[in-house]
Amino acid sequence: MKLFEHQAKELFKEAGIPIPHGEVVENEADCGRAIDKVGLPCVIKSQVLQGGRGKAGLIQMAVTKEEALLKAHDLMATRKVRKLLFEEAVNKEKEIYMAVTIDPVDCSALIMASSEGGMDIEDIAVRMPDKIIRERVKTFRSLLPFQARNVMFELGLKGEAFKQGVSILLKMFELFKKNDAELVEINPLILTADGKLVAADGKVSIDDNAAFRQKRYPITRDHFGSDIEYEAAVKGIPYLQFDGKIGLMCAGAGLTNTVYDLINYYGGSVASYLEFGGPNYRRAAEAMDFTLRNKPSVVLIVTFGTIARADVMAQGIVDAIERLKPDVPIITAIRGTGEEEAGKILRKIGLEPLSETEDAVKKAVELSKAGVR
Amino acid sequence: MSIFIDSTTRVLVQGITGSEGSFWTKHMLGLGTRVVGGITPGKEGQQVEGVPVFNTVRKAAAETKANASVLFVPPAFTKDAVFETLDAGIGKIVVTAEGVPVHDAMEIRSAALSEKAMVIGGNTSGVITPGTAMMGIFPYWIDRVYRPGRIGVMTRSGSLTNEVTAMLIKAGFGVSTLVGVGGDSVPCTRFAELLPLFEKDNGTDAVLMIGELGGTMEEEVAEAKGTGMFTKPLVAFVAGRTAPKDKKMGHAGAIATAGRGSVTGKIEALEKVGALVADRPSAVGALMKKAVTK
Repeated sequence: MKLFEHQAKELFKEAGIPIPHGEVVENEADCGRAIDKVGLPCVIKSQVLQGGRGKAGLIQMAVTKEEALLKAHDLMATRKVRKLLFEEAVNKEKEIYMAVTIDPVDCSALIMASSEGGMDIEDIAVRMPDKIIRERVKTFRSLLPFQARNVMFELGLKGEAFKQGVSILLKMFELFKKNDAELVEINPLILTADGKLVAADGKVSIDDNAAFRQKRYPITRDHFGSDIEYEAAVKGIPYLQFDGKIGLMCAGAGLTNTVYDLINYYGGSVASYLEFGGPNYRRAAEAMDFTLRNKPSVVLIVTFGTIARADVMAQGIVDAIERLKPDVPIITAIRGTGEEEAGKILRKIGLEPLSETEDAVKKAVELSKAGVR
Repeated sequence: MSIFIDSTTRVLVQGITGSEGSFWTKHMLGLGTRVVGGITPGKEGQQVEGVPVFNTVRKAAAETKANASVLFVPPAFTKDAVFETLDAGIGKIVVTAEGVPVHDAMEIRSAALSEKAMVIGGNTSGVITPGTAMMGIFPYWIDRVYRPGRIGVMTRSGSLTNEVTAMLIKAGFGVSTLVGVGGDSVPCTRFAELLPLFEKDNGTDAVLMIGELGGTMEEEVAEAKGTGMFTKPLVAFVAGRTAPKDKKMGHAGAIATAGRGSVTGKIEALEKVGALVADRPSAVGALMKKAVTK
């Protein structure tokens, strides 16, 4: 789970990593007070998870209070941003990139740094791979000060900024370990005109698998693109919404990606994807309900389960159809453990169970094109 | 022949008294797997499907001479259980749990690498040599998927494996050993690390790799094949060509892959070293025929 910038900065502040003075605001009425507190000029930063906030106009500068209030109003009222972070503007001499992440191949924590801060690291990696400084930390070791010094020497930092950089990187590594993070990133880490380092932005991503021991930041509506995605997530059902026509209920990430590809291959489009495998295979009614809410022109159900029993899924689907009475066609390819029984159950209510994924996809694409919606 | 598991492998089941553990113990035995013992702390003296239960892996290993273990242990306790198994001197481990924390998986993989052990998983169905033995959760009675033969299969996914392997069987092939490395972002054993085993196995004529977008495991296989350390025919299917970039479809995707990890990039890398890549599951059978008769 990605943290919002203000949450990442809360962690930074507690760890002793310098951040600009800032105030988080949830109601437009509180903006004036926040601006007074952080001072002018200020930066107004939308607390959303999408990348490229600057380019999207979701980060604004303001010199006067009137300007700041106007821009905050635009973000909150017009662009429906739920939370803003007001921050004092920092005058920058230089922007640095610094991150701690995971290298799954050699099983180390990977420190990446670059004096070309501000840019997207993926861009730097592709365009200027030699501009990235790398330092690896073996799994059973901690980040040692000499490694942090290596990075700061390569970044060309001097004096107070050098010492500060070493301390910031050591603290980032501690946060990485303590919070089960997949990523702790500061971009940009600003070197100010008076030679100090300040974390102007912060990205922290916490491993979803560690949620049972990392409970500080729960998921919120703001983590999702739509109400249905959020409501499904609260119920523990992975659901993604698109703008196509086929409502897809599928089991397993690999099969889902394949079916998604096949729908595109045959010229169709996806309205939504819902993970129907794993522990969700007994929850057909809820799954069907979520899938129908995005108004697909056809529902396509594809599974090939091992633990998830086909007969249990088929019965659940039949029950859901009888209860929800969907007015769109349902195409099924439900295979795996219990598939013969599943076929019988589906045929009883007039469905025609298919045994090949591609046949089911072709059928669904055809119906989605002929459909009234 | 096979890799990782055969009829002589002496298998322990950790978490054997749980519902999953006992259910799949029955089926592992049903296929012919030599399950010699189970572990559930506090339940020593019980039996599951005639298999004796022990409190500790150390004792189970000592009394049964086991050399492999499959874990049906919840993700939160997986790290502890794997280290217990490694400490008992068992070098072949399968972790079925879905949801092992990434930092735990890093420690497990790290320890396995330094102790020359092989930990498969997590988030996997496991390893099966059809008709002989398995460690994990496979509906081996579905014979349109699990037919013995001479093709090695390695995969990141569960249900997609059934889908794609069924195409292989339809074309008249069978499987020597199928290894699910698991769907997590840090699998404890990576695809390329299985290649030397398949290369050495005289029961395997060719390998089918079922890959996915994200991560760099498919690229590593291409690199390994490029060095000449793997000489057998390689057929691949990689899911996720059209997956939307900004949405995470299931498995954790790219971490620090720096430009790698896209399906297009994977396919290019694989084709460059002579692998045949299927654009759809249904194309796998014909491609495998082409690959093995080349």
